[in-house]
Amino acid sequence: MRFSKKDVSDEIPTSSMADIAFLLIIYFMITTTFAATRGLDFALPKEDDSPPQVEKEDSVLIEIQRGGQLVVDTTPMKLDEVLEYLKPKLERNPKKPVIIRPSQDSEYGYMVDVFDELRQAEDKIGLPVQNISIPTQREVEQFWF
Amino acid sequence: MSLKRGQQSEANIPTASMADIAFLLIIFFMLTISFEVDKTSVDLPETAIRLEIPKKAAYVSVTESGDIRVSDGEATSSLVPGPEDVLSFAAEVIASNPDKEFVLKADRTVPYETVDRVVDALKQAKARVIYLLSQQETIEGQGA
Repeated sequence: MRFSKKDVSDEIPTSSMADIAFLLIIYFMITTTFAATRGLDFALPKEDDSPPQVEKEDSVLIEIQRGGQLVVDTTPMKLDEVLEYLKPKLERNPKKPVIIRPSQDSEYGYMVDVFDELRQAEDKIGLPVQNISIPTQREVEQFWF
Repeated sequence: MSLKRGQQSEANIPTASMADIAFLLIIFFMLTISFEVDKTSVDLPETAIRLEIPKKAAYVSVTESGDIRVSDGEATSSLVPGPEDVLSFAAEVIASNPDKEFVLKADRTVPYETVDRVVDALKQAKARVIYLLSQQETIEGQGA
């Protein structure tokens, strides 16, 4: 009996490795989400902090009405006028508290617009608004009335 | 003049390093991948200031229709019946990690009342920091 002798390659077949690797790449590329992972931080008072003693009269009150109109200390104002209004007050008292009071039926986006504007104060007027508070309805009812 | 026919060489593309390159890319994607815990699609408000939100933060999402979903940052988000239920969820999260950050992912058209009640629940649960998820404000958007 005769065996036909065939040459056996002693190499590891790596030609499909790249295919497998590219399949994995495609999987990871598709499942990677370029999600929005940035936003405005909104620090809350710590538990042990004494509640800030804010007198209503001492602070600047920014009310946001239903359609997004702003009323700052009873004066209607546009968003880009707010920082100019705050500037002299902040020069006198850098810790001047600013309260944002969105109306319950206004949109969330307006509140974020105002908050963002106040956070940009350092860039726009050279003074940061250090004390921004956005009290919730329950807090308003509890502490103001 | 007679040209000598050279040696016949095989047409080969060198693919030996292809796998190495591919695996490098795989490693890159494996390291950078972060599975989104909340896949709710919302129209985020636009802000000029945007800070990086820490990974594994707990999510509270509020859609345009007022649906609220919560996630502790590990599991996929689940629907809760109302803003009141955010309090028990947040209290649980805070109990296991008092420094947990919360992310509020709310649609810009959501009535402020809903947001107010969610924020109030987080405040009552003694959350330290809330991030308001936003998208980049564009130049055209600034005038609006």
